[in-house]
Amino acid sequence: MAQQDNTTYKRRVLETSEVDLLFSYYNQDGNNAAVTGGEGTEELTDATSSIVLRMPLNEDDVLTVDVGLSAYTSASSSNVNPLDGGVNVTPFDASTGESRKDVLAYINPSYQHTSEDRNTIWSANAYFSSEYDYFSIGFGGSYTRLFNEKNTELSLGGNVFLDKWNAIYPIELRPGFFDDRVEGNGSYAPTFTEFDKESRNSYSLSLSFSQILGKKLQGALFMDVVSQSGLLSTPFQRVYFGNASDFFIDDFQLADDVEQLPDSRLKLPFGGRLNYYVNDFLVLRSYYRFYWDDWGITSHTANLELPFKLSDKFTLYPSYRYYTQTAADYFYSKETALSTFEFYTSDYDLSKYDAHQYGAGIQYKDIFANTKVFSFGLKTIDLRFSQYDRSDGLNAFIVTLGTTFVGN
Amino acid sequence: MAKLAFFFLLLICSSSCVVVREYDKVYLSDAEMQLSARPCERFETNFHIYREASSGANGGKTGGGCGCN
Repeated sequence: MAQQDNTTYKRRVLETSEVDLLFSYYNQDGNNAAVTGGEGTEELTDATSSIVLRMPLNEDDVLTVDVGLSAYTSASSSNVNPLDGGVNVTPFDASTGESRKDVLAYINPSYQHTSEDRNTIWSANAYFSSEYDYFSIGFGGSYTRLFNEKNTELSLGGNVFLDKWNAIYPIELRPGFFDDRVEGNGSYAPTFTEFDKESRNSYSLSLSFSQILGKKLQGALFMDVVSQSGLLSTPFQRVYFGNASDFFIDDFQLADDVEQLPDSRLKLPFGGRLNYYVNDFLVLRSYYRFYWDDWGITSHTANLELPFKLSDKFTLYPSYRYYTQTAADYFYSKETALSTFEFYTSDYDLSKYDAHQYGAGIQYKDIFANTKVFSFGLKTIDLRFSQYDRSDGLNAFIVTLGTTFVGN
Repeated sequence: MAKLAFFFLLLICSSSCVVVREYDKVYLSDAEMQLSARPCERFETNFHIYREASSGANGGKTGGGCGCN
């Protein structure tokens, strides 16, 4: 009699290659620029594009490569050197000099292996990014275990970033600075010392736990422990002291110092997601995070999204996000810090504020990927808008276009 | 510390919930039910990291890799 080997069908982790093409346009404005000591234009635009390629190497392994490019122009960054534009100098206008724009490029490859029984997954990743004044290299990994008939998933991960600033200081604090337009009581002589170390390292441990809670309900909990050390100040963010004389060039006040922040920071965020399938037309997606760090900052984040399935192909998803944070212990508004303090910053990103974000997105999905581009079929298109308003006056909007293609 | 203890208690208790068989996971397998942010949300997460003092616990960057907070 013919004998047949015992063959068991094993579903591939990833059936075919997938490509995500993502593009975003971001625009913000406000009046509390950190580069000019908490007062000045925060106008900034950023255009970012990313390609994420996921390739199955075999039945169990997937290689993912994420590459991106981000180009920004910033009125506040231009005021690192407001004197190179040749016009009247003010913190509320952009200089036309070279510090106005920059490009960030990054690459993030990762490898994932899934066990035969599909209950264990481990991954490893690397990260490289470069921009004019900041270079980053990172690596990490994770281990995930599914059990309880895949109703429960526990994941442990870690990441290390070994970064380095190429410190750029405000023009008036650089060696050899002289400008005969300086006006003020006395002579301008700030007690400024360059940072002797420019490295910045970050170490994180991440724990996540997800659990199916019913046929229509599932949730997850996330926790990170993050330790940072090194140069955590931003070298070009000015600070003005309340006990120092003021000096100006035109309408631009010269710095008394740059922000001085501790060389260590411990962060503990805790978050959770809860998703509920209401019916074939509506899903509730919720997220909450509590954050604490040893710089005195605590924050709460709450997000709610309601995907409405208009048809088999179209889904509309309005969203709302609320965020509130306390101020860092070292935050001082303009001219309230004293020169005798050890640490100080006037970066309003570290101040006390609330933020509301209103968003809407629409997704087109073709499960048969009938529309072809080269040999790839279009699977989904996402178009998403969000408006972000902060209580300190900063506002921003972002438009994102995302497409996913699958190979044949 | 109390918050940490509550987190782990929640972790342990929730693992004893009902077991949903594979053939009953049709609703849970829906794309909108995924317990992660959408791919196109990553850029929003990035600007949150730059403009807000807090980060992490959402699958995005927890710190490092950028000159951000």
